[in-house]
Amino acid sequence: MKLGVVKAYVLKELTEIIRSRLIIMVYLMPTMVLVLFGYGIRMEVTGARTLIIDNDQSHYSQLLVSKFEHSKYFDVTIEKRGEAKALDEIHKAKNDILIIIPESFEKRLLHGQTTQIGVFLDAAFPTRGSTMESYVKGVVLDAAGQMLERLAGNAPTISINQRTLFNQAMRDEDAIVPGLIGLVMLIAPAILAALLIVKEKERGTIFNFYASPVSKSEFIAAKLIPVFLLHSINIFILFLWATYLFEVPFRGSFLLYWLTSELYLVISLSIGMLISIITRTQIVAVVLTVIVTIIPGFLYSGILMPISSMVGVSRYEAHIFPVMYYNHILYDVFLVGEGLASSKTVTYIFILALYAFSMLTLGSFLLKKELR
Amino acid sequence: MELNVENVRVYHKKSLGIAGASLSANEGEIIGFIGADGAGKSSLIHAIAGVIPFEGDVTFNGLTYHSPKEAEPLKPSIGLMPQGIGLVLYDLLTVDEHLRFFANIHNIKQDVTFKAYKLRLLKMAGLDAFQDRQAGKLSGGMMQKLSLICTLLHRPKLLLLDEPTTGVDPLSRIELWEILDEIRKSEGTISIISTAYMQEAAKMDKILLFDEQEIIAQGTSSELLDSVRAMSYVEGIKTQEPCIRTLHATYCLSPLEAEHTEPSLEALFFVNALQKGKKMPLIEITNKEKTVELPDVVMEAKGLTKVFGSFTANENVDMTLHKGEILGLLGANGAGKTTFIKMLLGLYPIDGGELTLLGKSIQTQEDRQALKASIGYVSQHFALYNDMSVEENLLYFASMRGIAMDVAKSRISRYALELGFDEYLNAMPHELPLGINQRFSLASALLHEPVILFLDEPTSGVDAIARAKFWELLKALKERWEISILITTHYMSEAEFCDRVVLLRQGKKIADHTIAEFYAEHPKAQSFEEIFLEYYR
Repeated sequence: MKLGVVKAYVLKELTEIIRSRLIIMVYLMPTMVLVLFGYGIRMEVTGARTLIIDNDQSHYSQLLVSKFEHSKYFDVTIEKRGEAKALDEIHKAKNDILIIIPESFEKRLLHGQTTQIGVFLDAAFPTRGSTMESYVKGVVLDAAGQMLERLAGNAPTISINQRTLFNQAMRDEDAIVPGLIGLVMLIAPAILAALLIVKEKERGTIFNFYASPVSKSEFIAAKLIPVFLLHSINIFILFLWATYLFEVPFRGSFLLYWLTSELYLVISLSIGMLISIITRTQIVAVVLTVIVTIIPGFLYSGILMPISSMVGVSRYEAHIFPVMYYNHILYDVFLVGEGLASSKTVTYIFILALYAFSMLTLGSFLLKKELR
Repeated sequence: MELNVENVRVYHKKSLGIAGASLSANEGEIIGFIGADGAGKSSLIHAIAGVIPFEGDVTFNGLTYHSPKEAEPLKPSIGLMPQGIGLVLYDLLTVDEHLRFFANIHNIKQDVTFKAYKLRLLKMAGLDAFQDRQAGKLSGGMMQKLSLICTLLHRPKLLLLDEPTTGVDPLSRIELWEILDEIRKSEGTISIISTAYMQEAAKMDKILLFDEQEIIAQGTSSELLDSVRAMSYVEGIKTQEPCIRTLHATYCLSPLEAEHTEPSLEALFFVNALQKGKKMPLIEITNKEKTVELPDVVMEAKGLTKVFGSFTANENVDMTLHKGEILGLLGANGAGKTTFIKMLLGLYPIDGGELTLLGKSIQTQEDRQALKASIGYVSQHFALYNDMSVEENLLYFASMRGIAMDVAKSRISRYALELGFDEYLNAMPHELPLGINQRFSLASALLHEPVILFLDEPTSGVDAIARAKFWELLKALKERWEISILITTHYMSEAEFCDRVVLLRQGKKIADHTIAEFYAEHPKAQSFEEIFLEYYR
């Protein structure tokens, strides 16, 4: 490989990327995806708009109401206009939950009879609905436990003493943002790498490669090095967004994060290169890259659901795409911090390296230095 | 050092590119490839350059190769300039950056000798003053010259140029030829050049004539001319024998009792077409469906000026176009021809001067709107919608013009017959030969029966037969419809078909005469090309 040739090509690519203002996309797109998705995806429900009709107005009913009022998950309004009006509010999507405490609530409790409370939920979004349902159940159970203690005079009940690990506050940001880095670092470099080769095919400048003594490996190096350099900076930018803007903790080794990300970057580049070999126009290359990278990047990234909970075909599919391995390491360095001490991390790094190597080899094998 | 091509055959996917091509060339020779579009010239050039898989043997400098891979060791001594204006250039890189890039990818040591050579090339190409200009902002001719010197930078021993002069003005063409001549003398380079300009082909050591994926004749210019001299007669002969008539001459295989004329290389194509038994459609234009009374002067421009930033594209240009006149607008690349036409059409706002069309002064957009129905325009880059057949495309253009469907349909079928593309009506645009494309872009401009026609380089890249037919059409239109035509071209031979010619240089008008007046002013000139060059030297 002649270094002068590679250097000339790299210099040319960088000049073109800067003059065509493609450079803006290189740095804006990853940040945009991170910020938009980071703020946009919300799994947990806080401040559900709740109406409570307290027909009992007793001590115990007040206790139940105050339990809801003190929870950050509910935003409580005491409804005095009646049931029909309250249901109407839910129909109009002005409120999410309606809780009705019946008149004889306290009396029945004191007499040791079963008592029921009415709960209406907006379950137009099933996930959100079932989340709210479980929250309501939790609060009611908690209140019931306390009431039982009082009624039976300190009779023992089960109380939960839970500790959540890795994401103590159970913040969505902590769960989503690292996964997004895995998604962004798969899509953005692949698109740019695909563009750089296909652009020359579309314009006709590819003849400069066909007709000159430039070798295949020199050409590939010349096309991939600029993208590699430019996107290496994104590894740091995304890290800063995650830790400062989204306040995701970082518990692992930065060196591990950095080096694995560079390895992952090479995989993304070679996906772009493979696509540019089979396409002829820039538009097809971009669309194909987005399809090939965004679906596995999203589905099998562990953002929407953990790989460990996948079964059957989807579990095998997840293992085919590189994003699973990288995301495992990402979640480790951000939230867990076990690093190389975990044998799984070491295996996954090895798999990523193998992936990068075989994709590059395949690309240089398939790239032909002739018209077709 | 010599080149031997033995029985080369090239396929593009399933379709044949060229078959049974053999040729040989000695050191310093210039070989010319001539022929219609799609005749196989580019395929053979690509095969010799080792950029496309092929069957057969190519031997250069003692090394025989049968595939691009085997040609790899020769790449340092091969220079290829593929077809297409500025095809190998990067729009965003400057002239100087191109030269450095091409030197680097050929691994040339950039020492004093190289720098001197580079400067010489730049000077020869007239680009030394534009070293910091980005390639995308160069004119077509400058792009071609830049591509050529980029190809010459590594001093190739085998130079393959695919239509390097198409769309390039005569002045730039002469400069290109001077560069080539110097290189072959100093380096002993073998050059293979395909061209659409027959005057150029005449300068080459050997000419190969391509037709329908075959080489059908080869020899020196005079040998080839001798072979067709017997079949060339003066124009306007009436005979029952099958023959082809052009504005210049009549070609007939069987001997006629008529005066012979001195053939040009273009005669080869006509004779070949006759030998293959092809019939040329008779050009017959019917009268317009409705006639309108026209003023004697259909277009008058006074002091038209167009400024782009600090660059004046047109400066104080006066021009008149009379009823039933063909006016040729000639000039070097970047002289402001296209800009001028675009101002007349209202595609560019006018920065100064007055314009009168069909007796009405053009002030506002409304004035133009009223005249749109009287003007037809064929642009330099006429493009069709690739997913629609020719007929559907034409119907689409017609409905854009607000022509009723039944009227449009009858006109399209009539034009298809008269302009000779009826067999292509149901074809898709990518299946069309370029020459046919030209006729049918003309048809689309004629659908609304305009009285003025603006044609911007309608014949660039079109083969000799199609060009001759195109001009016959224009002439018939002029006579039958009294249509006025403003046309730009780089073929100096075509200028002679115009009634009057205006020459532009750097945005200014430098001459405006009838053809007879031009010849009267330059009595020594043999052809219009010589007159043209007088003005630009």
